[in-house]
Amino acid sequence: MMKIENLKANIGSKEILKGLNLVLEEGKVHAIMGPNGAGKSTLSKAVTGHYEIEITGGDIVYKNRSLLEMSPEERALEGIFLSFQNPVEIPGVNNAYFLRTALNAKRKHEGKKELNAAEFLRLMKEHLESLGMKSDMISRSLNEGFSGGEKKRNEILQMLVLEPDVIILDEIDSGLDIDALRAVSEGINKMKNGKRSFLVITHYSRILDYIKPDYIHVLKEGKIVKTAGPELVAQLEAEGYESIEDENQ
Amino acid sequence: MTMQEKIARYKADFDLFFCPDEKIEYIIDLGKHQIPLKENEKNDESFIRGCSSNAWLICECDHDKMHFRGEGESMMAKGMMHIILDIFNHRTPEEILSFDPAQLQSMGIAELLSPVRQQGLEAFLNTIYDHAKRCKSAQTKEA
Repeated sequence: MMKIENLKANIGSKEILKGLNLVLEEGKVHAIMGPNGAGKSTLSKAVTGHYEIEITGGDIVYKNRSLLEMSPEERALEGIFLSFQNPVEIPGVNNAYFLRTALNAKRKHEGKKELNAAEFLRLMKEHLESLGMKSDMISRSLNEGFSGGEKKRNEILQMLVLEPDVIILDEIDSGLDIDALRAVSEGINKMKNGKRSFLVITHYSRILDYIKPDYIHVLKEGKIVKTAGPELVAQLEAEGYESIEDENQ
Repeated sequence: MTMQEKIARYKADFDLFFCPDEKIEYIIDLGKHQIPLKENEKNDESFIRGCSSNAWLICECDHDKMHFRGEGESMMAKGMMHIILDIFNHRTPEEILSFDPAQLQSMGIAELLSPVRQQGLEAFLNTIYDHAKRCKSAQTKEA
């Protein structure tokens, strides 16, 4: 699905990713864990084309094309979705308009008929119910005045509506209480279809109890230093990241 | 789908919206699908008198049903025409003449219209019913 090869990336003059290699397999859930400052969020920004990131080496190959040649908008249209760690509030931009515009841009790109407002709201109604969200949330300004949990649920709502191929969840579990975590995880699990790939960036194992990962990757100092199955989580919980040696050396 | 079923579907659609502005925008969006008439079709005969915006309606009556094509100039007229023709198009004259236009009220959109636009809607419906009477009469003579 996606191959990240020897990726090097800077923020400003500081090198954050230092030759990162990662293969995202189709239909699999990959969890990225690592200490603060290891480059986890930088990786998500590099994949989605964030303006802060300067790629200085390597490549990201997605659907047999270099992702680095694509604009952020094109990457999104091609099915890459990033759920933000801190979803931005945009006063004055209606949540429903925002999402319908995004969905119709994607449908147009895929040669599908655009949805009118009523068709879209009917679709939203189903998803809102499944996420335990109040229906008036879609008529409010995007994330404005939303609680932390509401913002994260709104990210999942966007994901459910846009049906991406690669889903990057950057600390989706931060700031969530147990009920919100469960609702968000259920939304994510609903998206599993055997084809869609997930990159779950997290500090904590708690969310991985709900979203069962196929692989755990440890990111340290800008590189993936270890890849293993879900059993690695228990070791990380018990011994921390310091116990992990770079298996590539 | 019967005329009543079409009305029920529109009512369900309009009930999804949270405020009148969203309903008006939906009406305007629907009007974007309008296929314009040819310039020579927009004449005195097809012109609808009494509409607040310029609007034209063409009716083709065959041995069975009535087929309408129309064009409105303003965005609102285009949208309203789309809804009304979606309900009334490809019906027999009997179906139209036996249909009480007061049933359209249940969609909850008449109250979104200004008094002038409500008069325009009435003029548009009168034109449809006039065509239905003429079509029925032509079909009776033909038979």
